Amino acid sequence: MTDISAASAAPARRKGSLLTQDALTRKRNAAEGRFKAYGIVAIALAMLALVALLISIFAAGLPSFRQTFITIPIELPAEKLDKAGNRNPAEMAKVTTVGYTSVINAALEKVIEEKGLSTEGLTPKQIGGLISQEAPAQLRNYVLANPDVVGTTIDFELLANGRVDGFFKGRVTMESAQLDSNISPEQLAMAQELTDAGIMAKRFNWGFLTNPDASDQRPEAAGLGVAILGSLYMMIVVLVLSLPIGVAAAVYLEEFAPKNFWTDLIEVNIANLAAVPSIVFGILGLAVFINFAGLPQSAPIVGGLVLTLMTLPRIIIPSRAALKAVPPSIRDAALGVGASKLQSVFHHVLPLAAPGILTGMIIGLAQALGETAPLLLIGMVAFVRDYPGPLPGGLFDPASALPVQVFSWTTRGDPGFVERASGAIIVLLVFLLIMNAVAIILRRRFERRW
Amino acid sequence: MNDMRIAERTVDANQAKIAARGVQVHYGSNHALKDVDVDILDKTVTAFIGPSGCGKSTFLRCLNRMNDTVPSCRVDGKITLDGEDIYDAKVDPVQLRAKVGMVFQKPNPFPKSIYENVAYGPRIHGLTRSKAELDQIVESSLRKAALWNEAKDRLDSPGTGLSGGQQQRLCIARAIATSPEVLLMDEPCSALDPIATAQVEELIDELRSQFSVVIVTHSMQQAARVSQRTAFFHLGNLVEYGETGQIFTNPQDPRTESYITGRIG
Repeated sequence: MTDISAASAAPARRKGSLLTQDALTRKRNAAEGRFKAYGIVAIALAMLALVALLISIFAAGLPSFRQTFITIPIELPAEKLDKAGNRNPAEMAKVTTVGYTSVINAALEKVIEEKGLSTEGLTPKQIGGLISQEAPAQLRNYVLANPDVVGTTIDFELLANGRVDGFFKGRVTMESAQLDSNISPEQLAMAQELTDAGIMAKRFNWGFLTNPDASDQRPEAAGLGVAILGSLYMMIVVLVLSLPIGVAAAVYLEEFAPKNFWTDLIEVNIANLAAVPSIVFGILGLAVFINFAGLPQSAPIVGGLVLTLMTLPRIIIPSRAALKAVPPSIRDAALGVGASKLQSVFHHVLPLAAPGILTGMIIGLAQALGETAPLLLIGMVAFVRDYPGPLPGGLFDPASALPVQVFSWTTRGDPGFVERASGAIIVLLVFLLIMNAVAIILRRRFERRW
Repeated sequence: MNDMRIAERTVDANQAKIAARGVQVHYGSNHALKDVDVDILDKTVTAFIGPSGCGKSTFLRCLNRMNDTVPSCRVDGKITLDGEDIYDAKVDPVQLRAKVGMVFQKPNPFPKSIYENVAYGPRIHGLTRSKAELDQIVESSLRKAALWNEAKDRLDSPGTGLSGGQQQRLCIARAIATSPEVLLMDEPCSALDPIATAQVEELIDELRSQFSVVIVTHSMQQAARVSQRTAFFHLGNLVEYGETGQIFTNPQDPRTESYITGRIG
């Protein structure tokens, strides 16, 4: 009895006024304050890094959306471009781009003469060098598509040379031109005069979004057309394959599968697959789809299949989480009125989980859209100038993809491609932002309360 | 009290709708229900009372095989509905549940319109051939559940937008829309306020004319108010089962007496 009374005699109690903080309270409050400060610092650093990244990408990439063009009237002499005189594109195709180069150069010289600009210190070749090497090909394509313009004079927009374009974007200066074998300060001065005369000007560069890739010497002509189409085709393959397979697997595992060793094993392996480096999927795709199944290289179908393999676990996991988040009371309610298991899942559980599944799906697709490594292994880094054909046959044509195009442009020598690569990153980011926005909108729209 | 006796005598003449013999339920290694024998009479309200974890909800969920959804659950013994063993291998639980409807503790309307909530059961069981017939069933079910007057002007609005008591009545309407023979209610009023509880209790009394109602409740007053027969469960055993008046006024088992006088549980 004495022990008990001794123990209960003086309960430990905080002494002192409530108006003053004791040492322990101050310590706790200080710890809390420090923790908040760490969080704010971490977020500030992350924001800083993000802002720096965006500024550098946009500063480098935005100029690629504007391009310098020379608009001049071009006389298209029939005796040169259509010797047979019957306006037959098949026969006119015998005239190569060299023939068109001389036509363009003549037209440019004529314009310079008309405007009374001085060509002192410039050879005719240097004057022609103001224009992109791609311009004759574009003019030729235009003429072959519209044979009737031969013999007339048309106003045509000619791509300016990449260096000239760089001059107007601040990338090339008079000083750097002195050291550059591809351009001289005199040429740049002439370009400036042409601009003052209203012949040369920058405008929005649709070609960047629609043109195919261009060779190393012609950054001014390079575009994302093939890459965008290739990425689109791959995303279609990924969507068509991974949505039904992923959702079906998630529904089966979550709602129907017995809980035993094998389903546990499958679960663990799906989680592991989501963490497998994507390049491993590339090797798998190379071995299985190209070497074993004999599908063509560089084709969107192979890229899509590889990305599907990679995306599946990343869809199954959020889909299962979405299914798990549906309250069990809904399943009880459905079973209680006599719905079968399948009916309860398809009539009630799946519609409720749909926003989560769709969000997971779109985020999975967005990851697949930005994936580069597996595509390198299946040959999508190839230089592709021909657009893939219409669906579904186009799935088997060679194509490029947006992230791979970024990769391949960053390896090119001409400084013009730095701008192009950054521009391609902006395009990729815009697509990803659109997809994420769609995910958010879908979630908002379909989200229901219970 | 005399009126109640008369009611009980008429009840006694009814035959057993559901008969349970030697029912044992195991959740894994946990023996949740031990050797329960109960006859549930037709057109009667039967209340299951007892402290938490005594097995009353478990037994209720045996009656429409909702325990099938719990993987670790094992049911032994025999439960018959109109003389047919509901645990027979040939019985499809889906058909059973069309005959034995259920209302849950928490109101759980589907996140769909009021109309769709009620129409869902008849639709999946193919009870109607036309839209007009379905409309008819929805209306009569909502009327029986005393929700028609409140809901008739907003049948297209979501069922989840109703108040708690209305939601529970909607769940009752949904359960009776398939014209079940037995209606199981698992603490249907535990999430409701006293006014909504009174409405649901009144409703249960009216439903008695068409269904056999089994209600699990924590409230002994509620059991006394709505039921004709009461079963008292304790620690997985069915301690006492008999007419409600007798259980509450003259319990045979000391444990029952302790519980209803508030000494245990």
